[in-house]
Amino acid sequence: MKHLVTLFAGLLLTISCFAQEIFSCRNTTLSFFSATPMEDIDAVTSKGVSAINLKTGAVYFKVAVNTFKFKKQLMEEHFNENYLESDKYPHAEFKGKIIDIIDLHKDGTYNVTVEGTLSMHGVDKVYREKATVTVQDGKPAATTKFNVRLADHHIKIPTLVVKNIAEVVEVTVKATYSPS
Amino acid sequence: MKYIYLLLVGSCLGVNAYAQDDLSKMFANDSVKTHEPVIATYKSTRIIQGHSPETLKKRELDFRVAHHFGDLGGESGGGKTFFGMDNSTDVRIAFEYGVTDRLMVGVGRTKGSGSLTQMYEGLAKYRLLVQTTDNHMPVSVTLFGNVVGTAMKSSRTKSDASHFEKRSDRMSYTTQVILARKFNRNLSLTLLPTLVHRNRVVYMDENDIFALGAGGRFKFSKRLGLLVEYFYPFRSQESKDYFATQGKKFYNPLAVGLEIETGGHVFHVNFTNSTAILENQFIPETTTTWQQGQFRWGFNISRRFSL
Repeated sequence: MKHLVTLFAGLLLTISCFAQEIFSCRNTTLSFFSATPMEDIDAVTSKGVSAINLKTGAVYFKVAVNTFKFKKQLMEEHFNENYLESDKYPHAEFKGKIIDIIDLHKDGTYNVTVEGTLSMHGVDKVYREKATVTVQDGKPAATTKFNVRLADHHIKIPTLVVKNIAEVVEVTVKATYSPS
Repeated sequence: MKYIYLLLVGSCLGVNAYAQDDLSKMFANDSVKTHEPVIATYKSTRIIQGHSPETLKKRELDFRVAHHFGDLGGESGGGKTFFGMDNSTDVRIAFEYGVTDRLMVGVGRTKGSGSLTQMYEGLAKYRLLVQTTDNHMPVSVTLFGNVVGTAMKSSRTKSDASHFEKRSDRMSYTTQVILARKFNRNLSLTLLPTLVHRNRVVYMDENDIFALGAGGRFKFSKRLGLLVEYFYPFRSQESKDYFATQGKKFYNPLAVGLEIETGGHVFHVNFTNSTAILENQFIPETTTTWQQGQFRWGFNISRRFSL
């Protein structure tokens, strides 16, 4: 009986411990930037969601494509209608893992490498990118910047506007997590 | 005892494994955003000559040029006018502006075709309801109105439509309700109940003419669509009969066209039997018919700027 009590106590502790391994963020900021001599295009959303597991290093983010806001409304419409086709493919999603062996429970700033699959415009592609995780008071925050080649995700640029849209766009993700 | 222990540890591990592998499930129950507006029912604020439910967005300026050439066939068409290309029956140049995301206004100058020419137009268009992806709102409803005045010299012949006793005789108005639905990414259909009021008309013509327009788009690809537009004006039989005795027969405007989008530009290349471009003229006054080669090619160019 004594054993059983100890066991339950231990179990409860482990569960509570597990619970604190996972942190989430429901206002993840995602932006992208396309630079050409003709035109710079940037769009941003803060309606992404993200989660991180400090123990396993698993990371996840997801965003509704139609929440990206552009400076020019017509671009936003074309982005949704012609390029990302948000009616067919409403979300972009990343599932990955921090591949370095780092203890993220300790406060500090860590440069890590994340590997995982980005699913966008109906096309999955594996990425291995650098990211920065900052842990303060046990709460992690993450930022990353990486390049996406539009052709890799079957996003076609018509020849007429080929000078206005970069072949490779820079994507920035920022998330400040809280326990979930 | 040992077994219970193992069992518990196992179940506990199970919880752990579930939690670490599928972070996506954490957001599975997040409320899905509802009532999302349907975008791009048409690529431009016009179907062909008639209005689409689309309005300009806030601080957008649209520079528009519309052109109708001469009859392709028939008496005044054919090789001698290079299939109507030598003639232009109507031209419109306009600036339109988005005051808010739902309200746009515009000014335009149209050559005019029919009894009046030298037309100045002021227009307003308001996007009342927007179709939503979840069909909470199954259709888009947009209201359109314009005021058109002619600057032409008053005719000395009192029976002419262009004989103006007073300034208000120069004015005409169109009021229109645009009901549209984008059925899927390729098909959009529109109904256009319309009232055209002309302050001055000739004997036996009608000041108020109701018309029902119908239009649609079928997209072949992301940037190319087929457009069709038709108006049925409800002119009284007496009026039709009278004009028939004068050798003037009215026809219903029918236009077919292609919508081509190239980034910021939208090109329309179309064929229509109506000579005029403004609703105030082509709805009540189309007297040319497809059947006698009296159709023409025309184009709309729309260039949108974000200010």
